[in-house]
Amino acid sequence: MAENTFLGFPRGSGRAGTRNHLLILGINGLVVAAAGRIAAALPGSKFVATPYGRGQFGPDKECHFRQLVGIGANANNGAVLIVGVDRKSADEVADGIAARSSALVEAVTLDDTHEDALALAALGIRAGSRLAREISQERRQPVPVSELYVGVECGHSDASSGLATNPLSGALVDRLVDAGGTAVIGETIEWLGAEHALRHCGAKPQMGEAIVRAVAAREAAVTAIGVDLLGNNPGAENIRGGLSTIEEKSLGAVAKAGSRPVSGLLPFAGPPERTGLYLMDGPSFSPESMTGFVASGTQMILFTTGPGNSYCSLLAPTIKISANPQAHEHVSNQLDFDARGVFEAHETLDAAADRLFDEMIGFASGTLTWGEAVGEGAECFTRIGASL
Amino acid sequence: MSVGKDAANWDAVQIASGDHVAVALRDLSGRVRVRQGSEIVEITLSDAIPLGHKFALVDLPAGSEIRKYGAPIGRATQPIPAGAHVHTHNLVSQRAAQKAGNG
Repeated sequence: MAENTFLGFPRGSGRAGTRNHLLILGINGLVVAAAGRIAAALPGSKFVATPYGRGQFGPDKECHFRQLVGIGANANNGAVLIVGVDRKSADEVADGIAARSSALVEAVTLDDTHEDALALAALGIRAGSRLAREISQERRQPVPVSELYVGVECGHSDASSGLATNPLSGALVDRLVDAGGTAVIGETIEWLGAEHALRHCGAKPQMGEAIVRAVAAREAAVTAIGVDLLGNNPGAENIRGGLSTIEEKSLGAVAKAGSRPVSGLLPFAGPPERTGLYLMDGPSFSPESMTGFVASGTQMILFTTGPGNSYCSLLAPTIKISANPQAHEHVSNQLDFDARGVFEAHETLDAAADRLFDEMIGFASGTLTWGEAVGEGAECFTRIGASL
Repeated sequence: MSVGKDAANWDAVQIASGDHVAVALRDLSGRVRVRQGSEIVEITLSDAIPLGHKFALVDLPAGSEIRKYGAPIGRATQPIPAGAHVHTHNLVSQRAAQKAGNG
């Protein structure tokens, strides 16, 4: 393989896929079971279904639609079978996906079967089996690394995270951005106290203000219900571990974004317009945050952890990285990259970042992650408002 | 596990160039080796530094900004000599102070 390429599935004008999924996408809570029947009958297909889809309004409705369309438009899907209730909303999601991706898109709905749920499953299985055979004709080809869009997440952090794995993923993000690729970090509340660092690396002053506003909005929402985020932060456990201030704690978290200028601040689940480093204004719980990345278009996720955290995205191969020596004793099988050397002082950050970059190219080219091998993976929808 | 011949050749790291502090990779005291980019620099600690805690690489005057991860993490509340423990007893958040000041 030539340097700076990976073996991916080319997708016309968009980014190449690192996988070639048939996605069964349930877009309404009323057809979760029907969509599940279809997926169960099509081995190898991926199943994502929202439990919502009615009684939503305003920004919450827009955010939900953005997640559905974005999940469908992810370049890792070769084909998407939408399972819906009414033809109109199914077509809206299908049109949204088609506008952003070259995936084959079909939709089956209860409208087509006079509300017969089992007939819907039969219709979906026929359509899905056709799509599965069609996309199986596609072959991996060398594509530029610049087509990679990687989400960076952390979960179950400890002293090894701020010291080793977060700076390590930062060094990887720097390499990816320098190679013309794209990366995103989210978890807005973790920027609290590190806004100055993120703002100063922003190219435009308006973006710096937007970053400060995004953090302030989440801080205000929490303050409104009587919780003071700064009063007990860093907490006693953080302080025992050596963290002195909120700035230090947050800088340790955002170290995973690296040191390149921020290209833009994305709304939750929003796609980036260009390449480079992006921030996403989103929730800090990994399942929600990572689905925001997938809907934004990431074909890979880097996940740094201390003692270990098994959660993976369903659609974007998730590379688990830990530098904690005990984690490698207890759950070595569950970790995809060994960064102990950085923590134990026999591998430099740069050497580990070069090694991680090569491993990432391997995973992008089809090597299975632990999560893929065992079928660990999900996508989780985020609500930002109450239902009617 | 195979390790290089220079295994465990440093005890602490300066995470970003220009940082005023280094972080201990194990419980430390006395003379220690600090990785600063591609170089290893020796320094004598005046305090015991537990794993994950940090110490000053240079003399820091009272009131000065202290940097880690290439960015300010707060201000020194008293003069901190090189080799001394930097923690909540001599370092204060500017973000929290600003917030308190604003009411």
